[in-house]
Amino acid sequence: MNQLTASAAIATGRVQLASVRQRSLVTAKVRVLVVAVGFVFLTLTALVRLTQLGLFEQAPDRRSLAEALLPPRGEITDRNGVPLARAFPSYSLWFNPKALGEKGNPLVKTPEEVARALMQIFPDADYKDLVARLKSGKGSYLRKRVLPEEANRVFALGEPALEFPRENQRYYPQGSLAANVLGYVDEEGKGHVGMEQVLEPRLLDPAQRGTPVELSLDSRAQGALEDELLRGMQESNAKGAAGIVLDVDSGEVIALASLPSFNPNRSDRAFNDLVFNRVSNQVYELGSTFKPITIAAAIDAGVVTDLSVRYPTAPLHIAGRTIHDSHNFGASLNVPEALIHSSNIVTAQVADKLGGPLLRQTMMALHMNQRPTIELPARGFPLWPHGENKAGDWSRITTMTVSYGHGIAVTPLHLACAYAALVNGGIWRPATLFKVDPAHIPAGTRVFKASTSARIRQLLRMIVADGTGRKADASGFRVGGKTGSAEKPGNGGYRKTSLVATFAAAFPMDKPRYVVIAMLDEPQGTAATSGQRTAAWNAAPIVGRVVPRIGPLLGVVPDGSRDVDISDLSPLIGNGEGE
Amino acid sequence: MILSAQRLRSIGWLALLAVCGALVMILSFRVNALRSQVHRAEGQIVALKQQKMYLETEFETRANQQQLKAWNDLEFGYVAPVAGQYLENERQLAVLSKPAEPDAPAPIRVATVDDSVIAAAAFPALSGDHPAVRPLSETHEAESDDAGAGKPRSRPLDHAQATATLAEKLGTLHAATTHTVAARDEKREKHDKTTAKHTASVEKAASKASREVVARTKAGTKSARADARDGKGGTDKAKAKAKPPVKTAQKSARGDRKTGVKTSR
Repeated sequence: MNQLTASAAIATGRVQLASVRQRSLVTAKVRVLVVAVGFVFLTLTALVRLTQLGLFEQAPDRRSLAEALLPPRGEITDRNGVPLARAFPSYSLWFNPKALGEKGNPLVKTPEEVARALMQIFPDADYKDLVARLKSGKGSYLRKRVLPEEANRVFALGEPALEFPRENQRYYPQGSLAANVLGYVDEEGKGHVGMEQVLEPRLLDPAQRGTPVELSLDSRAQGALEDELLRGMQESNAKGAAGIVLDVDSGEVIALASLPSFNPNRSDRAFNDLVFNRVSNQVYELGSTFKPITIAAAIDAGVVTDLSVRYPTAPLHIAGRTIHDSHNFGASLNVPEALIHSSNIVTAQVADKLGGPLLRQTMMALHMNQRPTIELPARGFPLWPHGENKAGDWSRITTMTVSYGHGIAVTPLHLACAYAALVNGGIWRPATLFKVDPAHIPAGTRVFKASTSARIRQLLRMIVADGTGRKADASGFRVGGKTGSAEKPGNGGYRKTSLVATFAAAFPMDKPRYVVIAMLDEPQGTAATSGQRTAAWNAAPIVGRVVPRIGPLLGVVPDGSRDVDISDLSPLIGNGEGE
Repeated sequence: MILSAQRLRSIGWLALLAVCGALVMILSFRVNALRSQVHRAEGQIVALKQQKMYLETEFETRANQQQLKAWNDLEFGYVAPVAGQYLENERQLAVLSKPAEPDAPAPIRVATVDDSVIAAAAFPALSGDHPAVRPLSETHEAESDDAGAGKPRSRPLDHAQATATLAEKLGTLHAATTHTVAARDEKREKHDKTTAKHTASVEKAASKASREVVARTKAGTKSARADARDGKGGTDKAKAKAKPPVKTAQKSARGDRKTGVKTSR
């Protein structure tokens, strides 16, 4: 029994031992397998990742080239590709009070010292404002748009709290040049006033903003026009000045200036009276510059066929009003003499013969009864004489006053388009600020016959060669044009001392290419203008200085041996002097 | 045996597959590396274009119309050109010139390219010696210039030369000019034939010749000055002495300068 039990016990012990060994072996194998599987898994994972990295993963910057170079707002250039407005990541000066840690003084020196140092770098800054900002302990802009060298000087102050973040801003490299055409962009990135406002959707459109918008302006001509206008304005102590250079064949505005102007880089200083555009928005009675239009209408209608016919120069008394001239030009004048001496009386008589309906029709064909046709948002509505009856027909006196540019107020741009039609063969075209492809010049509408236009070219040239526009006669440029000095209306009639002096010209008269208009608002008689305040003494010299500067740039070569042939009209001119 | 052969083959296939796989991997890696490089290059392009834009804007700002005007007023005082400064065409230019006087020196000839050789190759009928097809200036020169020696123009036509390469022609011209000055016609003939092969020797000869030229030019300048002081004009003397053309050129340059001043006034 005992033996049996003992042997049984041994037998079980063996069995147990065998099974233990078996189990241990299995466990070990399982563990090895698990570890192996783990290693294999890790290796596989590493391999897969390696393959993935090697095959598919690319550089971290996934932005495409075009995307990276796309400006946040499209560029505006002139007709030669000179940038006038572009998105530019310029430096700004930011005060970060936490640059030196949360606690303690944010500045190394005292706020007053720092403000004083900043004042030396930016003399136009406000000292008190700077000190207040530096003391406030809040982060704020001390200045927007800082030049790199100014940033270097600020950096040299050794204040870590003064930082220079680069921010995308609108930048106008030419400063205040063509500011009235371009307009400005405010701090919210919204365009105002000029083409910035008009082109807003186009400049922000991701599909289009990569290509710059080409304007018709020529920055060199614009610079010359602004420069000479400013000089003329200062010499005559005028309140303001306006000027325009227009391509007579395409209607492209080559230069457009309104003074005083503003700097679009300082949008915070774009005040209303500076932003105001005198060329397209302000209407003026432009006076005698209308006379060539009246004469052209009369020649065109066959009312004036013989230019030697003489008209009496006695003052006219019509409907209780008297039309008189500035000077006495003798007993009678013919049409060329009337233009040369700028006679209201003779022009009124010609207009009377022409009749109100025809003159009105001509003025309407020249779009004098509508806002000027240009892309700018600010366009003034003319003061158009509505006539005395329901049909709007003009009375005799209205016809006569309109004939010499009174009783009708239009913008200088209206006048420029009308003069372009006068000299380019008789076709009126809308003015545009976009560069026009020579193959797609608008057809325009015919207002005058080509023969009339040729005659007017002769007459305008004679006015500059022998008449009131002599100071505009730039040597070799064959300038032709007409002066106009209109009194400004005030309380109880016209003010004798407040004039609008205009000179409307075109050059070269043998084949006109450009119309140039210079206008001065309320010029005074000064030593520089020989004490005179009329256009012959202040506006005409401006044109006389602008034309030689812009002519060669615009492809008009001065030539002393060439001119429009006025030999058939010369014998009609007497020796009288006039203004 | 059969089994092991099969096994070997399958191992071979596997190895081949592995090699192919590895090659594909390497290729893919290389392609991807290149793609990354392209991306990096694009990034650099963007950075450079932006930098260009900054610089351009800075330039435009510093050179804007108002700034240029201010500088011009202060420093330069340039004014727009006037009508008299423009010439419309060659005729207006010709009006300014003066007809040659009887004792005028021959036109300056610094270097000549013999057009007639090229023209003769292209248009054999117009072979340059016929007086009708020669320019007037040349006719005049032929009459007035009795020395006439060493002129490249008088060389016989060479069809092979006309069709030679530009480098050969330039070599020829260089050699011809220097030798004209040094009056070594027999060497020039040799150079004409062997220019392409012996450029080194040509250069050597040329440098030697140019040294001579410098020496002679100095001498010529002195004598020309003396002639000018005499006021008789040195052309006849030069011809009589058959001095090298450099001297003549110097004088005629002076003469022309004088004429130029007169004309412009």
